[in-house]
Amino acid sequence: MSTVKEQLIEKLIEDDKNSQCKITVVGTGAVGMACAISILLKDLADELALVDVASDKLKGEMMDLQHGSLFFSTSKITSGTDYSVSANSRIVIVTAGARQQEGETRLALVQRNVTIMKSIIPAIVHYSPDCKILVVSNPVDILTYVVWKISGLPITRVIGSGCNLDSARFRYLIGEKLGVHPTSCHGWIIGEHGDSSVPLWSGVNVAGVALKTLDPKLGTDSDKEHWKNIHKQVIQSAYEIIKLKGYTSWAIGLSVMDLVGSILKNLRRVHPVSTMVKGLYGIKEEIFLSIPCVLGRNGVSDVVKINLNSEEEALFKKSAETLWNIQKDLIF
Amino acid sequence: CVPLKGAWLFTPLSNMATVKSELTEHFTSKERVHRSKVSIVGTGSVGMACPISILLKGLSDELAIVDPDEGKLKGETVDLQNGSPFMKMPSTVCSKDYLVTANSSLVIVTAGAHQEKGETRLNLKLSAFPKNRVIGSGCNLGTARFHFLIGQKLGIHSESCRGWILREHGDSSVPVWSGVNIAGVPLKDLDSDIGTDKDPEQWKNVHKEVIASAYEIIKMNTSCTIGLSVADLTESILKNLRRTHPVSTIIKGLYEIDEEVFLSIPCILGENGITNLIKIKLTPEEEAHLKECKNTLGNSEGAEALKLSKTTILKLLKRS
Repeated sequence: MSTVKEQLIEKLIEDDKNSQCKITVVGTGAVGMACAISILLKDLADELALVDVASDKLKGEMMDLQHGSLFFSTSKITSGTDYSVSANSRIVIVTAGARQQEGETRLALVQRNVTIMKSIIPAIVHYSPDCKILVVSNPVDILTYVVWKISGLPITRVIGSGCNLDSARFRYLIGEKLGVHPTSCHGWIIGEHGDSSVPLWSGVNVAGVALKTLDPKLGTDSDKEHWKNIHKQVIQSAYEIIKLKGYTSWAIGLSVMDLVGSILKNLRRVHPVSTMVKGLYGIKEEIFLSIPCVLGRNGVSDVVKINLNSEEEALFKKSAETLWNIQKDLIF
Repeated sequence: CVPLKGAWLFTPLSNMATVKSELTEHFTSKERVHRSKVSIVGTGSVGMACPISILLKGLSDELAIVDPDEGKLKGETVDLQNGSPFMKMPSTVCSKDYLVTANSSLVIVTAGAHQEKGETRLNLKLSAFPKNRVIGSGCNLGTARFHFLIGQKLGIHSESCRGWILREHGDSSVPVWSGVNIAGVPLKDLDSDIGTDKDPEQWKNVHKEVIASAYEIIKMNTSCTIGLSVADLTESILKNLRRTHPVSTIIKGLYEIDEEVFLSIPCILGENGITNLIKIKLTPEEEAHLKECKNTLGNSEGAEALKLSKTTILKLLKRS
């Protein structure tokens, strides 16, 4: 007796099960899921895979997304605690990692994350040898270095989400101060994602008008309008939000979506993301810091050579030293 | 109250030229008129699933969020605002005072168990609204799940599988098997026992799975789909699309129902809310299920909506 399906549908050719544009998200916490929903709403992938260690949560999250398939165009959503589910991914987004415990030193936290990455990265690379890895877990600059070291991939294909979010926050706050939408305000924050990030005041502009030409003291302590506070607020944002709601998710999810879009569609837009900066600005060690990078199908294909003034360069190098002091003692 | 909008900014008062005054020449100070403002009440997991979908689809020209828990409210709002360079929407504002929702085209109510006493004021206002402007999200989500699961069984994308689940979101929902079709071909023509216990393919289990999955997912405290479902309804309303959706409205006079009960049936949604109902043709069994236990429904769906229970989303339209 024929089934409804057999009576209804005449098959002409086997379904092609190979995805063209698969994305895997490792870690289904708030950040991972914010990345997932943003990617789905932007129709960036034709397959999404979720990986985590907690199998119940993982299944629940996967089902929840699958049930929304009427509202978006990603036909295949899978999940698994085993990395085989991530096979043939174009991009793997790593949001997994240990959270800092009270009284724990940064070195100890990073060392714990090295252990976690050692259990994740080799499997990712095994199943998707051609992928780009986007590292989101914090401290992102050090962890991008760790992931790069463990993966054995070229530096072009291991990217830290870095200061893409800091710059977004910067542009949002500049926009608020000027009454202009953030997409029309341009400003770059580079260096370490975190307390010692470097705002490039000379580059801050709207419609090509550099704000520094209107206010030469912009970003300094003697600036009457205290524009420097905007950078302080960028640094404080994450702490504030964590204090208020326990974690941050939406902005980082959107930031990741922004980067994924540039990579998958080979847009070659410039983003401040964390990449290897050895050899630049007098840095001699293998450090990853955010600088403006051109992102395309191959990952980071070019970097923009920004002229830093002496103060900015000093801050940049200081970040590098801080990071190296932790990195040099890591045991792989 | 002043809506919280990056409220830590300290703008120095000075007579000297500011960067802003040097940069921009002022043309007009016309008051903003919001044409498609959306307000969301409640920042629980259901409430917060809505903004990201609405923002990424660029549906409204302002988003306002209300919740008595100011800390969480501010945290969530700033988190969303920080993502604004990646979106094409002007602003997200928040406050614990309902004043921030003024001039909304659409208010999405998702309040849960943490209601304050002030909530009852909101409840009472609901009954004063014309019935086309009070909508329960009802079976929109259940129907979406139904589409997905039918699609899984047939190997087809959910959008091409047409099927309606009506009556009430949850255990007593009614799948309209007579209407389930692909490309206009009713599945009932191919399997006359579809949806019954006699059905050799046990399609009835598809509906059971819709109900069961809701519980499974709630256990995980996730809510992505509900946000997508709400954004879907929001789009139809704000863009006056006049699409049909299974949402909850007051049924009286249809299917021989005399009382004022809230049931989900296919409605046409546009800028005035529910403008028409679809008089869906039901088999005698389906009609019986629809009317079944309507005595309890009078207390359940409608009253639940008014009590703003955790799993019901009720949208009110308020245009001034």
